[in-house]
Amino acid sequence: MSNKAFAAVAFVVALALAVASQLITNEYFFTAGYTVLLFVILATAWNILGGYTGYVNFGSAAFFAIGAYTTVALYNAFKAPLAVMIVSGTLVAGLAGLGLGYLTLRLRGVFFAIASLALAVVLYVFVVNWDFVGGARGAYILQPREVPFGMPRYIHLIYSVQLLMAALALVVARATERSTLGRGLAAIRDDELAAECSGVPTLRLKIFSAMMSCALMGMAGTTFPYYLSYVEPSSAFSLSYAVNSIAMPLIGGMMSWIGPLIGAVLLGTVQQLVQVTVSSAWNLLIVGALLVLFVTLAPNGIMGWVEARRRRKEH
Amino acid sequence: MPGRSFPPVLGRALGALAIAFGLTCAALAQQPLKIGFGMSLTGPLAGNGKAALIAMEIWRDDVNAKGGILGRNVEFVYYDDQTSPATVPGIYTKLLDVDKVDLVVSGYGTNVIAPAMPIMMQRNLTFMTLFGLNVNSKFKYDRYFQIMPAGPDPAIGWSQGFFEVAMSLNPKPRTVAIVGADAEYPAMALEGARAHIKRLGLKVVYDKTYPPNTVDYSPIVRAIQATNPEIVFVASYPPDSAGIVRAANEVGLKTRIFGGGLVGPQFAALKTQLGPLLNGVVNYEFYAPDLGKKFPFLDQFLAKYQARAAKEGVDPLGFYLPPYAYAMMQVLEQAIKATGGLDQAKLAEHIHESEFDTFVGKVRFAANGEWASSRVMMTQYSGISGNDVEQFKKPGHITVLYPSEYKTGSVKAPYHENRK
Repeated sequence: MSNKAFAAVAFVVALALAVASQLITNEYFFTAGYTVLLFVILATAWNILGGYTGYVNFGSAAFFAIGAYTTVALYNAFKAPLAVMIVSGTLVAGLAGLGLGYLTLRLRGVFFAIASLALAVVLYVFVVNWDFVGGARGAYILQPREVPFGMPRYIHLIYSVQLLMAALALVVARATERSTLGRGLAAIRDDELAAECSGVPTLRLKIFSAMMSCALMGMAGTTFPYYLSYVEPSSAFSLSYAVNSIAMPLIGGMMSWIGPLIGAVLLGTVQQLVQVTVSSAWNLLIVGALLVLFVTLAPNGIMGWVEARRRRKEH
Repeated sequence: MPGRSFPPVLGRALGALAIAFGLTCAALAQQPLKIGFGMSLTGPLAGNGKAALIAMEIWRDDVNAKGGILGRNVEFVYYDDQTSPATVPGIYTKLLDVDKVDLVVSGYGTNVIAPAMPIMMQRNLTFMTLFGLNVNSKFKYDRYFQIMPAGPDPAIGWSQGFFEVAMSLNPKPRTVAIVGADAEYPAMALEGARAHIKRLGLKVVYDKTYPPNTVDYSPIVRAIQATNPEIVFVASYPPDSAGIVRAANEVGLKTRIFGGGLVGPQFAALKTQLGPLLNGVVNYEFYAPDLGKKFPFLDQFLAKYQARAAKEGVDPLGFYLPPYAYAMMQVLEQAIKATGGLDQAKLAEHIHESEFDTFVGKVRFAANGEWASSRVMMTQYSGISGNDVEQFKKPGHITVLYPSEYKTGSVKAPYHENRK
């Protein structure tokens, strides 16, 4: 399927799901769905740099927080419309990703991972000391009473927006994977020196993939302040976003766009269900056990395992 | 038509209907009254969340032992919010839409109260909350109520007692140092302190914050000492409270009054960890054993609580949060009984208009849902020796300095002479 056809299908499916889900009266569906979709975007975004390029970014929470705090800043400045906040948050996070790429992508392996974590700490300190966005005290974002498109509650709107954004993230990830850019990134992942010697502009491609990955992470964060109504640094920069955005592609498979989607839907849904059925302590244990299970039995994730089985059958 | 009776079949049908109706009503009356909430049972605030849960369960058992509320046994439906705001919308929508609870109350703290507010507002629910810091200042929701006794303006009410006590010293102090962590509560407490300082015309010689993950507090205390302040107001979370009190003792801080907004010494863990290092510190508390006679029912509650807390490994004293968690449920119970049902508008109206007799005393709410007047007690620690927890259960180590109706003694100053 061509990229254009895939994009059309993805957006039509997302739109159809958004419309169909308006018939559901149970609001829990929307809050749980919002969280799972948030992780779909984060995992897909992380995979562009981490999976396609092989550069592990531990700073996902920072870019997510950039999106969230751009929304807070625009809300405090002039109560900007949601669409403006989404576009702005995406752009600001993309620019921050460009900066991260330019400053750190000459580093490799664990050194890059540590640098990305350091960036998250720097941004955290910056936000804590920026009073305009609430600083250490946090900021309140009030959901508008009037919800557009005749939707009954604001969570219906941000869930639908999140669906469309998840579709966009998947379209971008798939298009990247199947483009010249994607092949260049795969070459970097397999052997950066060989790629460089073969004429692949490695630094430029890495910076571009960092920018795209971080922009999508920022996009995921833009609706978050409206979801919670209260944002403060420790929740926006929560390590759980960084951990989940790495764990989900690991479980689903990092080699293709569909892996993070499968991982996020699987792990996100399990987390949501376990939280309200068993307990949160079990929740963490289950995530840990799943990670150990996949790392040992299916190191290339679900998609890698499926692919390996298919190859074995062919031979 | 005179003399004409109902056909026998119709009579029997009506009789069966009446019996069925009666049985349905009886069944409804027997249905438990479900109260839902999220509570921090894991994560950084799990210790407090578990303590609050024990208190609420004691209330539930007490109520059920007396026949429940409106003839219905009380049942809790709760989930662990992991001290994470992101889990809160999911938990409350699950409680309301899937578990179909009759009422909801909040978990512990601002971070988990605020994300539940839009859901409460959309559904016009009365929302009793536990230890939020001025959450309603932005939402302005008329069915929001908060049980922490910080008064209608928590930022001001929090440090009111400290500055009243400081200004009671003779001669009156003129210089002040304020310090706190870069975090939500300290920021609010420092804001209130600055307002008091301005009102009292004090000269600020030090006003700084530090990152929450600071390890060594000696440089901070030395920097404060270099400015030679007469008053030192500190707003800190438990780890930094321990660090600052230790540093004040190590450095030998010389000032007339020290403390104010240290979170942590209210709990047994920090009381026993710091032990005699707390002597001389003036700090807020919500209860002191010296006040036993003023809160006659609290002893019964604390006896039940302390027995369970010891088994479950949470705060063995329970002076800070648990009595207020119990009181929060008492307010709700009294409002339901007074209004005779679960009509959310009537409940909110009644809570606004009434005074409630609870284990923590008489409670009345201001228009914004906070306590009508602050009752943050300012106390001074003295005579603490060793690190034994039992000494804190007995009167004599926590002197209440403010407010006047609870006063059990006068402040001993300067701080450095009362440190031993």
